[in-house]
Amino acid sequence: MNNVADFFEYIQSMGYHRFIRIFWFFVFFELIRYVIVDFISLNSAMLKKFLNRKNRQEATYRMLLEQPLVSIIIPGKNEGKHIYKLVMSLREQTYQNIEIIVVDDGSDDDTPFIGRDMEKNGFIDKFIRNEFRGGKASAANLALRFSTGKYVIHMDADCSYNRDAVFEIIVPFYENDNIGAIGGNVMVKNYRDSLATTLQAVEYYDSISIGRIVSSHLGIYRVISGAFGAFKMEAIQKIQGWDIGPGLDGDITVKIRKIGYLIKFAPDAVCLTNAPNTFQKLAKQRLRWDKSLIRFRLRKHKDVFFPNKHFSLVSFISFAENIFYNLILNIKWYVYFIDMIFNFPSEIKFVIVTNIMLYATVNYFKFLLFSLYRRYKNAPVSYFLVYIPLMVIYFGYFLRIIRSIAYIQEFFFKKSYDDPWNPPKSSAHAKKLGI
Amino acid sequence: MALENVKINALKGTIKYSGRTYVYISSNRKLKMESLSKFDGIVIDGKSIEFVRMVMRKIRGNNNPDLYLKPIFSMNGNAHADPLIAQLIDGKLSSFDQIPLVHDTTESINKLKNELKFINSISFEAQVISKLMGYMYTRSLKELEPIPYANSNTHYSFPFLAYNYEEQDEYQIFDLLQIAVDEGLMTAKYFDRVYLCTSCKSSHLSYREACNKCNSTNTNSFDIIHHFPCAYVGPITDFTNDLDDKLNCPKCSKALKHIGIDYDKPSVLHVCKNCNHRFQDFVVLAKCMSCRLDNPVEQLVSREVYSYTLTKKGEDIALRGYSSTPKDIEEIIGTVKFDTYRTVVKYEIERIRQTEGSSNIVAIHIVNAGQFYAKVGSNGQQAFLRDIVGEIRASIRSSDMITFHSSEMILITMNDIPNKIANRIVIDILNLLRKLIDTNFKDLSLEITGTAYQLNLESSSELQINDLINSFK
Repeated sequence: MNNVADFFEYIQSMGYHRFIRIFWFFVFFELIRYVIVDFISLNSAMLKKFLNRKNRQEATYRMLLEQPLVSIIIPGKNEGKHIYKLVMSLREQTYQNIEIIVVDDGSDDDTPFIGRDMEKNGFIDKFIRNEFRGGKASAANLALRFSTGKYVIHMDADCSYNRDAVFEIIVPFYENDNIGAIGGNVMVKNYRDSLATTLQAVEYYDSISIGRIVSSHLGIYRVISGAFGAFKMEAIQKIQGWDIGPGLDGDITVKIRKIGYLIKFAPDAVCLTNAPNTFQKLAKQRLRWDKSLIRFRLRKHKDVFFPNKHFSLVSFISFAENIFYNLILNIKWYVYFIDMIFNFPSEIKFVIVTNIMLYATVNYFKFLLFSLYRRYKNAPVSYFLVYIPLMVIYFGYFLRIIRSIAYIQEFFFKKSYDDPWNPPKSSAHAKKLGI
Repeated sequence: MALENVKINALKGTIKYSGRTYVYISSNRKLKMESLSKFDGIVIDGKSIEFVRMVMRKIRGNNNPDLYLKPIFSMNGNAHADPLIAQLIDGKLSSFDQIPLVHDTTESINKLKNELKFINSISFEAQVISKLMGYMYTRSLKELEPIPYANSNTHYSFPFLAYNYEEQDEYQIFDLLQIAVDEGLMTAKYFDRVYLCTSCKSSHLSYREACNKCNSTNTNSFDIIHHFPCAYVGPITDFTNDLDDKLNCPKCSKALKHIGIDYDKPSVLHVCKNCNHRFQDFVVLAKCMSCRLDNPVEQLVSREVYSYTLTKKGEDIALRGYSSTPKDIEEIIGTVKFDTYRTVVKYEIERIRQTEGSSNIVAIHIVNAGQFYAKVGSNGQQAFLRDIVGEIRASIRSSDMITFHSSEMILITMNDIPNKIANRIVIDILNLLRKLIDTNFKDLSLEITGTAYQLNLESSSELQINDLINSFK
């Protein structure tokens, strides 16, 4: 009881200036960027959407009139067990002028038999098999080779899609001819499976979904998810498809932006994915994702920062924001932590508790407020309320530590080239070429 | 061997030796089947394989045991080079003076034939099985092996049976032999498997890889290349140029150096020159060279081919005769059993002896019944016989009786009417039956004849019935 009384006394005795001094990291970075900027941008995006509604309607008419062929490509290894369900969900799509192309990237299970059977029975248009695994990029490129549509949608075999997902992800192309790629809204299907999946569902709800509405509005949308991304055929052909991963989703987004196309997010094009169901698997996935920031932003596409004939301010800002908020703030957080230990050693336990309370409060506020902006919800908001305080640990400690490890591994040891996600025969060349 | 013991009659084409008479058949002589049965053996001029094949088919395919069991020898030529003929001739001669060399064979076959009892059957299958058993018994054969035979429609021919079916109906032999196995007359041992056309059941198939969209066989194939450094994937044509043999990546312009190191070929791409479809998996089609149908291979009819061994029961059947199979026509309404018919005719002769009336027995003969039944199968045969019995029944009085002597011979009684009128009725019946056949079996030609025989008081009913039947042979 004494501790609680002490804590309240500590809070009450803290003046405005002292609050800013102790919680500067929260106030200047987290609160401003992820609450205030997000909230303002979100409202701005909604306003723009409202003002743009006539254009959107016209785009819808144009698309329905033209009925463009959409090639859906599904590359993967040992995905046979998922393909049937996925294709069944595609057969339910409201937009049906689609061709489905499945590439089996050297599967060693029943995938070839399932794929061939589905092709034979007309469930998919093409099943292409590589006897030897070449990696996700080469499999997607092979599918691209067979695609005849005006637009290409990249899907993951273990995902499922809302009935209007294909329609919703293609319509924005008709709103602006300069759009080269559109990302779909990925949500967590298995959010009830474990604590890990529940926390990821909240993350996808807030940071990813809302974050992408904001970044898309600001023109700095960075990663078109491989689970659901649509590309204009002429744009993807110009960049000659995907390059070696891991991190090829972000890479292709950069490449398309670099050649002058706009990248947009389609919040109403919903895809449900199965998130890693243990923290161990999640850590592995995030290590892979986070390494790509160093590999692609700082290494492969470092030319974005230099003024040359291809310089693009949007690309520059997108990169700068990404690096600042992920890499620099990550380092700065450790600076903040050290600042607290050295300058406020006696108050450290109250600082930690206050930080947790501040973040939890803001998280609740954001979660409830931003819920009002979401048109589609795959889970009741109330289900997540009890888990919101844990997001502080999840975001503030778990993901931050993972991110730090990833950056060190990639920056100093180029560990992404050793990731078994990509076959060694390809990674060896990428490493040698520094891409 | 003393030539003087062999007496040749060049005019008649006969050779006599040790009390036995052989007839010589060559392509120059007109073949009279009905006359062949009286000889003890047949010598065929073997110069023309086609001719020998034709004669063998006529003899071994005949339903008269005096013909189909006849010892046959080939002389000169190379007819025995045909594997089927080689199995079905009983010996080879190079001149007539070698007849003594095959004399024992002739004696043995004819002796064993005399041990056999022949029962006429309505069932075509039973008739052919009975013929086969008889043939195997007289040749002391225990095994029936399929012969790989290019001229066969199923690529495997069974000696003797092949000549009892038209070439296009040979596949039915598999079913026939299965009946024999089911009945315990033979045991089967797996030999091979054949695939038959879904339409005509021929195994003359040409297997081709074709476009899975338009089924065209006019295609090109290219290797797909995966360039590791930039993940470019495309057909080899993307990498080639007109100047040299180098392969350069169209995405990153790098030269491909070493397969497995900087690139590989993970798959193959086929392009259809007919519809421009690009695909990876050919559809395999089997074109039937008999009826031209393109069959998807997975739909082909798969048949197991067995070799067969005669069982003890099979040997007994050869001796006792085989009258029906489980697939037979159980009973055709409006007919009586042959035994009943014989009894009725016997009593009819006794009756007219007292009444001094005029009664007749009638035979309707379906000349090429074997070929017809082989084509239409058991069910078709059953339907056909029902139809013709119905037509006959409608043309005769209800007191007259109908029976089957065999699947090709129908016997009728026509009591208390003059022979002239009976024959007129027979002509009417034949006309009706021809009309029926023309209507129901348009594509099949069936020859049908008939006659009415007036019963006399001098000879037995048995003899008179036999005379009537034999008048058609």
